[in-house]
Amino acid sequence: MHALSPGGAVRFPFLAVLLGLLLSGCGINNIPTYEEAAKAKWSDVQNQYQRRSDLIPNLVETVKGFAKQEREVLEAVTAARARATSIQVTPELVNNPEAFKKFQDAQAQLSGALGRLLAVSEKYPELKSNQNFLALQSQLEGTENRLAVARHDYIEAVRLYNTELKTFPGNIWAATLYRADKPMETFTVADDVKKTPEVKF
Amino acid sequence: MGTAWLPLPVGEREYAEFVAPISARHQAPVIFSEHARPPSARTLLAALFAFLVLLAPAFALDFPQLTGRVVDQAGVLDAATASALTGKLADLESRTTDQFVVVTLKSLQGTSIEDFGYQLGRAWKIGAKDKNNGLLLIVAPTERKVRFEVGYGLEGTLTDAATKVIIETAIVPRFRANDTAGGISRGVDAAIGLLTGDAEASKQPVAGRPADQDDGWMFFVLLFAVGITFILIMRWVARHPGRPTGPHTGFTTGWTVGSSSGSNSSSWSSDSGGFSGGGGSFGGGGSSGSW
Repeated sequence: MHALSPGGAVRFPFLAVLLGLLLSGCGINNIPTYEEAAKAKWSDVQNQYQRRSDLIPNLVETVKGFAKQEREVLEAVTAARARATSIQVTPELVNNPEAFKKFQDAQAQLSGALGRLLAVSEKYPELKSNQNFLALQSQLEGTENRLAVARHDYIEAVRLYNTELKTFPGNIWAATLYRADKPMETFTVADDVKKTPEVKF
Repeated sequence: MGTAWLPLPVGEREYAEFVAPISARHQAPVIFSEHARPPSARTLLAALFAFLVLLAPAFALDFPQLTGRVVDQAGVLDAATASALTGKLADLESRTTDQFVVVTLKSLQGTSIEDFGYQLGRAWKIGAKDKNNGLLLIVAPTERKVRFEVGYGLEGTLTDAATKVIIETAIVPRFRANDTAGGISRGVDAAIGLLTGDAEASKQPVAGRPADQDDGWMFFVLLFAVGITFILIMRWVARHPGRPTGPHTGFTTGWTVGSSSGSNSSSWSSDSGGFSGGGGSFGGGGSSGSW
């Protein structure tokens, strides 16, 4: 009745705050929050792939010093690394199934080539006891393990985000406010389950 | 796991009374009403229970309780060693704020020690929240596996190569000689040496190494030097927001961790009193060995 009474001036901001609270209670912030979390996890994954790729030239050089005759395996690693690093990793990669698959395949190929290289090096006792090689090997093992953890965390973050896009009330916000937000790609089980190169001391 | 809310076995009569008002409110199908068969609802509940029990191990590992800085679930440490270790670990935290926990496990519950390790570290939240400077030495005598699980913030000091060398030169030889307690003690000493003497060790690695590692430490020093070069690579690569890339980057900030106040003089002299994780996280750093 008394719309312009002093009480009305107080009530408006109060209602605005209430509305804000209600909306955030409806998960209006969930999609961007989960998206950012998943992106952060993705950059973790990328970092570990990058670190692995940084370790490889040294490893190849070290192995070359002791086992030149394994040229085929060495070249396979170098080529696989070149292929993997040639893929431009953009933030949009995670929204593009085709590019993501290409990236994943290239990295999986590199994992395979690396595994063969480490298996082959078992044949060379001098190489196996080389300090540099041992250090590289343990760094590589550690990186593969961090990679497994980072991939696992990324898969979990993407699962949350993708679920939010598809379920109530997230799907309402996805269809209205956040139409540009697309589901993210995630690693397939095959790559995730892949064992780290088995290394015996 | 997840079963605490389930009612204890109750008589059918009580059970029906418990179920009926709820189902009536929701206009559930007749089978849920009082006269129809309560056992069917009960069967459902039993099925749900069985389902939860079956699924629980698949989802979560069963972690031992964090009872102190030394958690000897496998029972391989004598009381004297355990309390000596606790003292060293407490002293480390008071000097560097790094939280270091030694844990022995009865079983890895079917997973790898790497998988178990980072999940255990995250579950216990070892290390300060803003520094992630936690460290675990995990020993699984049943599987004959040992692992250093290094928190994000310590990955620069305790590189994979450095931890590998500790495992191979200090720990595993003792374990092979059935001296589990000795291996753990030597491993802890070596890791603490790296964590506390980092600055000196990188300048003149010869000084300050224990003399009892005569055959192993030359190897160790060389590997450590190589490891240092990878710290540099890591600094290039591992630029995460909120994740210290080097061991000492966070040391200038005052550390503000509520629950890890185990470093306040009151509690760390006792065996287990009030020790808890400070909110640190783990990302799979460290290395493993077997014997």
